[in-house]
Amino acid sequence: MTAAQPLVQERLSGELQQAITALSWSADGEFLAIASAGGELLLLDFRAGCEELLQGLGNASLDAIGFSADGQFLMAVGQAGELLLWELGGSGVRPLAFAPQPLGAGWLDAAVWQPRGLLLAVAAGRRVRLWDGALRQWRPDSLELPGTAQALAWSADGKRLAASCHGELALWQPTAAAAPPPRRAPTGSVGLALAFSPVGELLACGQMDRSLLLWPEAGEGRPWQFSGFPAKVRALAWSDQPAKLAPALAVAAADHVVLWEQRNRSEQGWQPEPLLWHQQRVTALGFAPGSRLLATASADGSVGLWDGRGRLLQALEGEGQGFQALAWRPDGRHLAAGGDQGRWWLWPVTLPGRPRPRRSGGAGFG
Amino acid sequence: MAFTSAVPAADRLPVTVLTGYLGAGKTTLLNRILTHEHGLKVAVIVNEFGEVGIDNQLVIEADEEIFEMNNGCICCTVRGDLIRIIGNLMKRRDRFDHLVIETTGLADPAPVIQTFFVDEDLRDELRLDAVITLVDLVHVQQHWEAEEVQEQLAFADVLLLNKADLVEEAERQAIEQRVRAINPMARLITTCNADAPIDQLLGVGAFELERALSLDPGFLVEEHAHEHDDAVGSVAFVEERPMDLDKLGTWLADLVAERGPDLFRMKGIIQLAGKDERYVFQAVHMLLDGDFDRPWKEGERRCTEFVIIGRELDAEGLRAGFNACVA
Repeated sequence: MTAAQPLVQERLSGELQQAITALSWSADGEFLAIASAGGELLLLDFRAGCEELLQGLGNASLDAIGFSADGQFLMAVGQAGELLLWELGGSGVRPLAFAPQPLGAGWLDAAVWQPRGLLLAVAAGRRVRLWDGALRQWRPDSLELPGTAQALAWSADGKRLAASCHGELALWQPTAAAAPPPRRAPTGSVGLALAFSPVGELLACGQMDRSLLLWPEAGEGRPWQFSGFPAKVRALAWSDQPAKLAPALAVAAADHVVLWEQRNRSEQGWQPEPLLWHQQRVTALGFAPGSRLLATASADGSVGLWDGRGRLLQALEGEGQGFQALAWRPDGRHLAAGGDQGRWWLWPVTLPGRPRPRRSGGAGFG
Repeated sequence: MAFTSAVPAADRLPVTVLTGYLGAGKTTLLNRILTHEHGLKVAVIVNEFGEVGIDNQLVIEADEEIFEMNNGCICCTVRGDLIRIIGNLMKRRDRFDHLVIETTGLADPAPVIQTFFVDEDLRDELRLDAVITLVDLVHVQQHWEAEEVQEQLAFADVLLLNKADLVEEAERQAIEQRVRAINPMARLITTCNADAPIDQLLGVGAFELERALSLDPGFLVEEHAHEHDDAVGSVAFVEERPMDLDKLGTWLADLVAERGPDLFRMKGIIQLAGKDERYVFQAVHMLLDGDFDRPWKEGERRCTEFVIIGRELDAEGLRAGFNACVA
């Protein structure tokens, strides 16, 4: 089943004390942040070859982390219901922690930085709030929802913010000069995962009712709905590689991964290609930036690497741990993954048909 | 809709649902569970922190949010907040041993219960252990007309008649009778300061089919002479003649299709014609579950016992329907 030359031949790894819940790379690929269900937050600085534990083991889980697009800030939210922020001074400089900001909305598990901007969207109960990194304060306006915000996504240009809750998908343009009122579309279920395509302005929403909604025009107009998934649709990923029509979309439901390709512009034009290989729930998936290589992580303790046609190229094993998180380095050549017993891995990945990357990043972690 | 998970019960985390009207003593009981030396690591989901040990790492707040999963079908009404929060909680490496969920004093317990049977993730990771309802002996008569009070009594597997030190024994007995008329199958425990033995609260296994029914023996002997005119009540049948499974299945399917929203809980041990094993059965609203159990024992009285708890029950109509299922 493996390719003639394996994509992955070496690895780096380390250990936190609690299960890994989230992984995030800075846009320049120089920093990797790793969060755990015990509130640990580890920052790896590849240029300086050092690591720093920004927060140690505590009582409350961290569930979403991320770097601002310009790499100035790192954020983390979780069980404590607070927004944690650090200002990064660049490689080798100790990050400066802001005072935690309690939001009074219970457990926070969704927060996303704006691409090409400094707005951080945070799902805080039935509101989506915006922290403005340029002004270092909260915006006075927020997006109100009829239910608890379950998932958030920004469009690639950073102009639209989508939020899902029970029964509704709301689209907001918080940076528009004369900001129109948020557009609200009924969904008939609960959106659990949202993703805008990096090219072509499509919006995908994975739902609790085992269906996938796809809006062709960035959430405007009528969506296509694809039903019949074996379980909740809990993870989505778009390829950044342009195709004749829409870019490829990978969707996870239970132990299934489905690769979608648009053949023509009708509702029947979407072709599903099931990738049936994982034994247990697929917890995360992502296309490598700059290629059609797809990585899928599962609670069964394996990560699958697939080509654009859905052929399994290589399987990576989790040393007995189930995988809970996955993140491609923006160079598309390094894949980070996190396990349910606290282990994290970093694999340099050789793209099929291309020379192997040089051993550069991360030499300091063994 | 099926009730059970493909994952064995022993591999799933037990969950206790704690209900009770405002002031019934839920906080006192939660604090006892959290501080008691029972050797179990207990996580608690509360509707507000209030006076429950806030510094305990495993006390988590959740805001009740109802999800209607299927066009308002009552059996598909679940607690969306629990799905999200328990989903986050289950990512932990050192899992805990038991989960307790406190509901608000005004909550209908059904969506909480159904969450653990309807949601595909929770169904495979957790199992409902029991619904515990606290009854405030001092004030319950004042609130009796409240729909929530009667629903909380109806759904209970364990009923704590609390604050017994603050009422006369005659009063306690009157309340006990009234409670029994609504729910003849729950275990009754009389307490002061919610001081029930922990082993009668956690690890009850009330939703395990093999423990499907433990009727108050007195209740069955009387075969229904309960004069209370509460909207919520119960009907119990005892039948010596063997039953027909097909007829029973059809009758129950029709019954829940027609009256599901008013049928809170049903439990039964069925003697089937031509079978040596007992058939055990239970239902929550429209969620039905039944299976063959152990063989009838030597010398055991072979008979069917069947209880229905619900709202505005037509005892005669139900009796006729049940009788028609005799083989």
